[in-house]
Amino acid sequence: MEYIVETRNVSKKFGKETAVINLEMKIAKGEIYGFLGPNGAGKTTTIRMLLGLMKPTSGTIQLFNQNLEQNRIEILKKVGSLVENPSYYPHLTAYENLEALRKVLGVAKNRIDEVLEIVRLQDVANKKVKGFSLGMKQRLGIAGSLLHNPELLILDEPTNGLDPSGIIEIRELIKTLPSQYGMTVLISSHLLSEIDQIATTVGIVTKGQLIFQDSIETLRKYANQNVSFTVSESKKAWQLLISSGLQAELQQNRVLIQDCSDGIVAEAVRLLVQAGQAVYRVEDEKKSLEEIFLQMTKEENAG
Amino acid sequence: MIANLLTSEFLKIRRKGFWLLTFLGPFGVVALQMVNYGVRKDYLLQQSNDDWGYYLGNVHSFTPLALVLGIAILTSFMASIENETNAWKQLIALPVSKMNVYLSKFTVLACLMLFSSVLLMVFTFAFGLVLDLGSAVPYMDIVQYSFFPFLASLPILALQLWVSTVSQNQGIPITVGILGFILTYSAFFLPDWVIWKWPSLMNDANEPVQNVLLGVGVGCLLYVVGMIDFTRRDVK
Repeated sequence: MEYIVETRNVSKKFGKETAVINLEMKIAKGEIYGFLGPNGAGKTTTIRMLLGLMKPTSGTIQLFNQNLEQNRIEILKKVGSLVENPSYYPHLTAYENLEALRKVLGVAKNRIDEVLEIVRLQDVANKKVKGFSLGMKQRLGIAGSLLHNPELLILDEPTNGLDPSGIIEIRELIKTLPSQYGMTVLISSHLLSEIDQIATTVGIVTKGQLIFQDSIETLRKYANQNVSFTVSESKKAWQLLISSGLQAELQQNRVLIQDCSDGIVAEAVRLLVQAGQAVYRVEDEKKSLEEIFLQMTKEENAG
Repeated sequence: MIANLLTSEFLKIRRKGFWLLTFLGPFGVVALQMVNYGVRKDYLLQQSNDDWGYYLGNVHSFTPLALVLGIAILTSFMASIENETNAWKQLIALPVSKMNVYLSKFTVLACLMLFSSVLLMVFTFAFGLVLDLGSAVPYMDIVQYSFFPFLASLPILALQLWVSTVSQNQGIPITVGILGFILTYSAFFLPDWVIWKWPSLMNDANEPVQNVLLGVGVGCLLYVVGMIDFTRRDVK
């Protein structure tokens, strides 16, 4: 497989604090890689290292199969980025802001209009960015990152500060990039719901360590199902099910069964009814990805 | 690449008052003499037989102060453009070398100061003609008094740029600037090795060229040191 991003044993220390520990990140071509982790987990530090803004304390970073430290400029020609809060020059107009970037990137002038149209800012192109809303500034940042048609797009929390319609808009835009322009996208977020809807691969980082890196389908498999029973006397019901050899779990006033094949559920219902229990509800209970994410990051904290 | 960076930098300083300041500095210096000569021209002309020379000396008494103050303000402005929304991270993530970024910032500032010096020369010459100081215009002296202080102040420019680009807190470069201003003000009492004395073109040997050569030499040195430090730092 061809990896666009490949880090080997990358660590970063700030004084005594270790922000990133032995990171082994792999991003294949054409993927949308969701980089997930709670605030302060090391996402932004990792992204800064990928862009050469910070040097790793140890380990090597390869982008496009080239060593970042040796070929930084060559590599960055193919990378577009938006790191954390959008950076802009408030005293300049949207157009001038992009022009300042365009001059350095050396791309054709009409690209400015093109990217302004992509993020739908063409109407305010000649207004000073000072007066923009956060969402507009964010979109301007994305426009800047698309200027030179990068092969790798790195977006750090791109939907921060956007309203719901803005979030959907950006999400739709990001989804189309790999298929339309052959871009590979790295997108970070602390919200799993965000990543869940666009990413094809997920990396979860907590306390500077990558604790999960696989396809989103694999992550979803962790979302195993339970069937929950709400009955009149849950403790008795639980004892009854256990004594009948079923794997049951008592939770507040509900009983959970992990094996949820039709036969088992039917068997459990029959047992409960025969024992004179009033069965109020039988429900499928799916663990949300949020819960898995919380659980994963919590386990790591405990260890 | 450096040419692209430079045009981009010149675009960024638009509407920030850079050009106004570049104009105000030399204009202010000459305007002070307009007041001086406007109030007591006859008295001043009596002070010396060399009216042009005396006039140039008067103009030059304020040039170093304006230069040092101008450098402090412009470098701080320059850094604030990037600091305001932490645009450093955006700039450095572009395919440019950090050395060239630093060089372009320095070059823009040096160009502005040089432009100031040109204006100073024009204003000095023009007001001298208005005063009708005699037909023997000391062209070489006008050029020297306009450009030597700038060349001698290059170390201050390099130092201020270094301090303001690497400081998270812009109070630090401003403090350095104010201290520099006070030192320049007291140039007469300072030993020759203090860089803030150099723009005054004074030294024990009474040889202005010495300050210029020192300024260019030490300016380059401080520039290189600042640039290396800048390239080695992580971008926050």
